[in-house]
Amino acid sequence: MTPRTVVIVGAGLAGARAAETLRAEGFDGRVLLVGDEPVAPYERPALSKEFLAGTRDEASLLLRPPTFWSERRIELLLGRRVVSADPGRCVVRTSRGDELPFDELVLATGARPRRLPRELPTGVHELRSRGDARALRQELVPGAHLVVIGGGFIGAEVASTARSLGVHLAIVEAAPAPVARVLGPEVGLLLAERWRAHGVDVRLGTGVAHIRADANGRVDSVLLTDGSVLRADAVLVGVGVEPARELLPARPAVHVRAAGDVAGPGHWTAAALDGVAAARRILGLPVPGPQPHYVWSDQFGLRLQVVGTPAPEDAFELDGSADSFAVRYLDASGRTRAGLLANRPAEAAALRRALLEDALALAA
Amino acid sequence: MYEIVIDRSLCSGFGACAELAPEIFEVDGGGLVSLRLGTSDNPAVLDAAAACPMGAIEIIEEQAA
Repeated sequence: MTPRTVVIVGAGLAGARAAETLRAEGFDGRVLLVGDEPVAPYERPALSKEFLAGTRDEASLLLRPPTFWSERRIELLLGRRVVSADPGRCVVRTSRGDELPFDELVLATGARPRRLPRELPTGVHELRSRGDARALRQELVPGAHLVVIGGGFIGAEVASTARSLGVHLAIVEAAPAPVARVLGPEVGLLLAERWRAHGVDVRLGTGVAHIRADANGRVDSVLLTDGSVLRADAVLVGVGVEPARELLPARPAVHVRAAGDVAGPGHWTAAALDGVAAARRILGLPVPGPQPHYVWSDQFGLRLQVVGTPAPEDAFELDGSADSFAVRYLDASGRTRAGLLANRPAEAAALRRALLEDALALAA
Repeated sequence: MYEIVIDRSLCSGFGACAELAPEIFEVDGGGLVSLRLGTSDNPAVLDAAAACPMGAIEIIEEQAA
């Protein structure tokens, strides 16, 4: 039976793509897209880059023009958090106390930043939402000192943007090399070298012991486990994200589907494909096969593109120079499992195709 | 006939479009997609638009006059 009402919780990329796919495939019932942020679906990757730098405004972040949603009769319910989902009664309840009945429910609640397990002074930021980016931007005045905790992509992108605004930077990474777990320590050290060349104070293999506040409760320094102290007018915590899984039913439920980051460690493009797949499943349409993971990062003059998912035991081949290199991650049989491109954008499509063909050959 | 419109600000260089309809889409030296042709009667452009993870490709179906 064709559902009459689809409720999509989470107005990020996965939710947005699910909603527009329903309409593009001719679904004629109600489509409700519920988001806790008071803003229509927007481009999150720009938050750490152009939006933070102030070179793109809020309107340009929107994934679709404002009239797009109403033209397609997609009802946006924004600034509303869904607090519970009842798959038995087929309703979700929002923070305003109202209930929304559904025939089909898509949970696209995304992920949220991991937090440090301690009380934090003011001036300590995280970056996930547009509001977070706005607050962080206020801190990025020339001459200020920003300490970034965590050497992942988000931290490095914020550092890169902040550096371009004349902010003094330190990046603290607990592991001996940044992004080592995912991309290998050699690549991590290569990136750390680049950060240093751009004037960033990079501290590897040391954790944060304490974030100190002044008499007004405002951060003034970060004490590291190796005993050193970093001056901090502001701090960004970028130690990864965790899926926002609260609404997922304990047991699989018919008419309830998860899509995007909430369904597993995903990335921008994976979330989009996942949203499309959820909508197609609701309509009983064939779902395109899985694609190699794809993620990109712009930092300190490098465009990094990771295609596929490297495994920790992979051998790797690196070729090129610090300004433009390619890394291939090889499994035990010598097959390319994943690749990293740095300032080699023209090679990304071919690499993706090669990985896809490999995967198809393996499945056959 | 289909008119093809791309939004390069959304393009992330995924490249699926260029694979599905190479006579229409190409990935340029900057890693972003550009159009070889603005219109086509090849329905593969619909697949390309559907495969774009970013929804950066819009297809407008033009009625024959």
